Amino acid sequence: MKSFHRCLTLPLLTGLATAALAKLNVVATTPDLGALARAIGGDQIELTTLAKPSEDPHFVDAKPSFIVKLNHADALIEGGAELEAGWLTPLLEGARNPKLDPGRPGRIAGAEGVALLEVPTALDRSQGDIHASGNPHYLTDPLNARIVAAHIARALAELDATSAGVYQGNLKKFDDALEARLAEWQKLAAPFAGRPVVTYHNYWIYFGRRFNWPMELFLEPKPGIPPTPAHLAAVITKMKAGNLKVVTVQPYQHRKTAETVASHTGALVLDWPSFPGGPGTEGYLEWMDHLVKSTVAGFEQTR
Amino acid sequence: MLEAFEIMKWPLLACLLLPGLLVYLGLHIVQREIIFVDLALAQVAALGTCFGILMHYEANSWESYLLSLGFTFVGAGIFTLTRTKSHRVPQEALIGIVYVVTAALGILLLSRSPEGNEELRRTLIGEVLLVTPAQVLRTFGLYVVIGLIHWFCRKRFLAISFAPEGALAGGLSVRWWDFVFYAMFGWVVTSFVQIGGVLLVFSYLIVPAVCANFLADALGARLLIGWATATVASGAGLYASYALDLPTGAAIVCALGLALILSLVAARFRPGPVG
Repeated sequence: MKSFHRCLTLPLLTGLATAALAKLNVVATTPDLGALARAIGGDQIELTTLAKPSEDPHFVDAKPSFIVKLNHADALIEGGAELEAGWLTPLLEGARNPKLDPGRPGRIAGAEGVALLEVPTALDRSQGDIHASGNPHYLTDPLNARIVAAHIARALAELDATSAGVYQGNLKKFDDALEARLAEWQKLAAPFAGRPVVTYHNYWIYFGRRFNWPMELFLEPKPGIPPTPAHLAAVITKMKAGNLKVVTVQPYQHRKTAETVASHTGALVLDWPSFPGGPGTEGYLEWMDHLVKSTVAGFEQTR
Repeated sequence: MLEAFEIMKWPLLACLLLPGLLVYLGLHIVQREIIFVDLALAQVAALGTCFGILMHYEANSWESYLLSLGFTFVGAGIFTLTRTKSHRVPQEALIGIVYVVTAALGILLLSRSPEGNEELRRTLIGEVLLVTPAQVLRTFGLYVVIGLIHWFCRKRFLAISFAPEGALAGGLSVRWWDFVFYAMFGWVVTSFVQIGGVLLVFSYLIVPAVCANFLADALGARLLIGWATATVASGAGLYASYALDLPTGAAIVCALGLALILSLVAARFRPGPVG
């Protein structure tokens, strides 16, 4: 009887052991989601991030490895607000992985539970590259990152119950760190409340709202449409009238446009990384810290 | 390896089946010395797609396809009319002008549309890695039909490309057959641009034909060498793309470039005078 018992439990135990050893294969579409997945999943997950931090998340070039990774993935973390729709959909068709079908626990949409801004009342291509579900760059607000981190922790726990405690612990750690940092950032930002910033694309609206820095003037005439001479002239006039002194660009945007505008207005050009993942901004909190501090420094310099 | 095949299956089929006709047409194009006509026709077709985008048709819809096809036929008409005997203005100059003006027009049109940049990039680079089975089969069907037309009318098509003066003297309506040639050629090119982009279509047309011209004189032999070149380079390019995780279209173009260098070396050892 005893040996029979051992026969049953031994394979069961080894099965459990390998399940615990086998890491969850997680694919994140953009580096901000990847950074959050890493913060929550830690060493328990095998993480692949498709878009590079320097890349335009609207357009990402497909490579064979993307299909392989998606084919092997246990979970896909996507923005869920159409940002990646143009390139993710054909990749998923190629990957043919039923675990990632919409509605399955392996398909994690970051936007779920986040209140998106600028949800259009009517969809009209003449308004530029707008997204039906709202502005998809919601992770530029650290409080939204908190919601998404909690969502990822729940979803990973559902897929890998044995590590649920680890995910919960990592979430707690992330939440506490974020709360401490946020208080610090808000203290830094407060003296400059209300100072507007010119951005290239309508990418930072959530960030601007959180720290009370209006970001309503863009170098693009409409989202996704390259700057035109007449529009830039109008931007320059508005910047002079409103005494706007800070212009920001992201790695894949045309820095020369921002420099030209800055040279006409005596403004400062700030390089904002679109995503975590560069040197010194590996994690989400480090990235946000860099954004806040470089902006504050920019304001101080152009006081 | 099985997984590589599973993922690369449809791109592989696209790159093995479709260049068959491209290589043959490439021999015509190289003989006519109008190397850039495919780029110009592809650009004219892209202009049709740009119009479609401005009229709010999706880039993959049938309306936008019809528009680009219509533009291609207009382009075919232009190239038919500009094939002059006088060498005061070489046709290549006019082809170049059509290319840059349509490209500039496309930029003007798309500056009003948010999808512009993406669409311009896509026509250039293509997405052969993400080709769908329906796309491959549909395009292959079209190529079979056009290939059959070329087979049945081969005497006329070969005459207008390889001996236009003789064809004219023989009472053949060179203008009309030129138009048919360009129209079908444009259709073939624009269908492949949808899959592989402008760079890849140009490479499949020109590189195997040039390799073949280095190595053989008879049309049949050139065709066989061209097909072999395209097949080997496609296989090598796709394999490199998978093994080294490189963008697929560009890997194939570079493999074709390598094939050209190899055939240049081979041509040195070829008995008798070259070309």
